[in-house]
Amino acid sequence: MAGPHEILGMSRVLGISTADFLARYTDNSGTTLRSEGDGRCAFLATSGCQVHPRRPLVCRLYPLGRTTNERGEERFAVFPAQPDCEAEAGRDGTVEIFLESQGIAPYLVWSRSYGELYRRMIGLLDRLDIQGQINAPGADAPAETARAGSESPGLEQEPGRVPLSSWQDIDTSLAEYCAAKGLAVPAEIDEAIALHLRAIKEWLDDLAARLGSVWDDPEGVQGE
Amino acid sequence: MGRQDDRKSVTRREVLKLAGTAAAFCTSFGFLHGSQTGGVVQDKHFGEYKHLQARWQQAEIKWYKGSELLHSSPFPATVMKQLQSDETAVVELKLFRAGQLFKNLGTLEAKH
Repeated sequence: MAGPHEILGMSRVLGISTADFLARYTDNSGTTLRSEGDGRCAFLATSGCQVHPRRPLVCRLYPLGRTTNERGEERFAVFPAQPDCEAEAGRDGTVEIFLESQGIAPYLVWSRSYGELYRRMIGLLDRLDIQGQINAPGADAPAETARAGSESPGLEQEPGRVPLSSWQDIDTSLAEYCAAKGLAVPAEIDEAIALHLRAIKEWLDDLAARLGSVWDDPEGVQGE
Repeated sequence: MGRQDDRKSVTRREVLKLAGTAAAFCTSFGFLHGSQTGGVVQDKHFGEYKHLQARWQQAEIKWYKGSELLHSSPFPATVMKQLQSDETAVVELKLFRAGQLFKNLGTLEAKH
């Protein structure tokens, strides 16, 4: 799994754009990190993890896993040791200390923030009663999503590498948002993520306001 | 006023973008309705799958003590023969204690 904020961080470490990262290093429409044929992480080199300073939450958590239930209650569990993993893990200390040592706090905040936005999206879709009825843009298509990967000629049409949504490409979506708002594009990763969250929230606010007239009139959704 | 204008205010493309973004976040973050999972998919214990369908060409079972490999065993010839005929085979992983089923780790439906 790889959230847009994690893709932004890793792309900065590698010195490439998020569009390039999505095209080169993700599968499943930009939602998962690509693995090598033998299942090895694409960023694992003999010298170690190539994106370690900005490694995603899943890597920071290991050997812990995190789940939250519908009430938002959080649980952590320990995975069985992977035989091929050379990391040393003990059972001394607490989960809290471990999370702190891995710099996880901001990732949890971001994950929760994106989760709130996700729940708003589901709420909108629920009210539209279209879930499962629309074929979301996938690997082979969409005008809306075709921009991602455009900086990597030859990769953008490969199945599974076109993102489902332009919001997954933070560089491009923030450039458009900042241009429209007359803002400078943030150079710092944390600021960019905060603005990305704000931009999506404003998009949902606007969409919700305009969809307000549709709730009682499904025919109000029009094609372009 | 209003009604016709309102109808033009939302396009199918916008709804598609909404659905696409929700789908992307659902997968990227492991979100389900109201719940959230982080750090589980890549490292998920087999037992949590309950029933996993997969296609592979070679399979073996390994027993470890810590990181020390105690024993490695390929799948029996009868199973591999079944798979090579392009049929599926289902592998059940069950743990027993004192002759009683202790835990059913799930099944792997495999095809060569």
